[in-house]
Amino acid sequence: MITFVQLLISGISVGFIYGLIAVGFVLIYKSSQIFNFAQGEMVMFGAFLMWFFLGHMGMPPALGIILVLAIVGLAGYGLERFPLRPMIGQPILATIMITMGIGVFLRGLALLLWSTNIGIKFPDIIAEKTVSVFNVPISNVTIGIFFFGLILVILLSLFFNYTRTGLHMRAAAENHQLAQSMGIRVTQAIAQSWAIAAIVATIGGFLLGYVRGIDFGLTEIGLIAIAAALVGGLESFKGAILGGIIIGVAQTFTGGYIGYGLKEVVPFFIMVLVLIFKPYGLFGLVKIERV
Amino acid sequence: MRRVSGIFDTSYIQDMSIFRTKYYSLGIAILILFFLILPLFGNDFWLAFVSTTAVTVIALQGLNILAGYCGQISIGHTAFMAVGAYTSTILATQLGLPFWLCLPIGGVGAGLVGLLFGLPSLRVKGYYLALTTIAAQYLIIYMIKTPFPEITGGAIALHVPEVKLGSFVLSTETHFYYFIMMMLVIMTFFAKSLMRSHLGRAFVAIRDNDIVSEAMGISLYKYKLMAFFIGCFYAGIAGSVWAAYVRVISPDDFTLTASIWQMGMLIIGGLGSTLGPFFGAIFIGALREICVIVGPWITSIIPQMGAQISASLVEMSFGITIILFLVLEPRGISHRWEILKDSYRFWPFSY
Repeated sequence: MITFVQLLISGISVGFIYGLIAVGFVLIYKSSQIFNFAQGEMVMFGAFLMWFFLGHMGMPPALGIILVLAIVGLAGYGLERFPLRPMIGQPILATIMITMGIGVFLRGLALLLWSTNIGIKFPDIIAEKTVSVFNVPISNVTIGIFFFGLILVILLSLFFNYTRTGLHMRAAAENHQLAQSMGIRVTQAIAQSWAIAAIVATIGGFLLGYVRGIDFGLTEIGLIAIAAALVGGLESFKGAILGGIIIGVAQTFTGGYIGYGLKEVVPFFIMVLVLIFKPYGLFGLVKIERV
Repeated sequence: MRRVSGIFDTSYIQDMSIFRTKYYSLGIAILILFFLILPLFGNDFWLAFVSTTAVTVIALQGLNILAGYCGQISIGHTAFMAVGAYTSTILATQLGLPFWLCLPIGGVGAGLVGLLFGLPSLRVKGYYLALTTIAAQYLIIYMIKTPFPEITGGAIALHVPEVKLGSFVLSTETHFYYFIMMMLVIMTFFAKSLMRSHLGRAFVAIRDNDIVSEAMGISLYKYKLMAFFIGCFYAGIAGSVWAAYVRVISPDDFTLTASIWQMGMLIIGGLGSTLGPFFGAIFIGALREICVIVGPWITSIIPQMGAQISASLVEMSFGITIILFLVLEPRGISHRWEILKDSYRFWPFSY
């Protein structure tokens, strides 16, 4: 029973991170109808960059985190200008391959810069200890990540519901022409969504890297996040978070009870099942179209 | 359909011919002769490069039929190569079947698995279909790695028994070179002919507009699944040939990254043309070799760059190439080749 609760809680906390990264994915999909297959590489690159500033150069955590987030935000903003703006209105295969090209490039860059740094970890920001919640031992890092993720999601949803920029982005997501006629700069809104997606991916990479170490395997998280977004429906933030939690819990349970090999592929099993039986997910918009 | 200007057809046979001008036939003849005598003066490095590229071209022809002609995006093509490679190898080791039988069975096996993952294409398309094929990549590799390690060799390498055609044992680089080039010619001819038939026209109709093509009496159900079967059959054949050539296969040879590379090669070469896979595979193959040569050279000048410089150069240059091609020339090298041929033909006029 204790293992059950432990697995459940660690699944939820990992799932929260998946959900966060999936939110970045959903954001880009909503604003520009582009599937960002480079999300995983952005997570990995962000984690390495964060490590470079915090671990390698030894900056104080608060300063380093803000600096890194500013850098990746700017980089995400720049990505919209090149190469993504020419991709508006292009066939789907082109948009898929361009984000994959960005991903391959980022992985190459990370290999060039940090391939010799194996088995690295972030410096401890909070001292790890085990606390007991309802007689179940849980690491305080897990709880910290849970609450951090919760705060971030609340902040993001407040941002999208109450700030002018957030509302502009949602309007651009609905309909480019309509948004333009209301005086919203659609390209800017898309660029902002890429910036936020990059920041969210970096935060996700930081949290995941804090839990399990930083390596090139973090790239896999991108596809898991896509699976999470798919389960939740591609247009919904709360769906993305929920999908992330579902996948995280499914992963820790199969890892805990069945075996490690299955843990790796369970997101893809879920993905295929969702695609076959409920392609528009839990909260997605159902587009009625005969294929 | 593109037609050469100034050449007029006077018979039905002429109208249907693949090589329409005498220069074209001459060029092909010279090319075939060159590759026939290449082992006389090329060393093993060049033979290996040509063989590897040729296997990639076979796989790319399948991907081209699936994605280029029929418009069904597949980013799991190497997984189907793995199905072919493992099927033929396991048949050879467990049942002792001869290679000439294992090869087509490997292709058909890959085609059937492709059919299975093509089923969602009847309900979803675009991004969702791409995701299905990515999932296929992971699920197939998982099936190879985990449930039956005593048959598939698990995560470690599986050794391929030596390849015999009749009583003749393929052993040297040259033998494999001739065998692979023969397979390449057969498979390319097959692909070209198929795409000139009613099947190819139905695929193109589905790619261009699936609803209209259904209204015109093309059964989407039948033809989409057929595209998946043929595309994955090609992947399976390429995988079997590859397994026979390298003699050792492991699940790590068939990764998502490799699939992305294949899709990238196809885009760089040009979708929807028989020449596209050739251009793409040669371009990327050459790019990779150049990076492998340049990498150590950079390390010798700047020693701090580390040992991974070649690998990172390969990935970075590939990423940049794909992005540049998609932005500047989304129709690929084969389109440029057509323009080049036209400007030669119309010279000194520009059109």
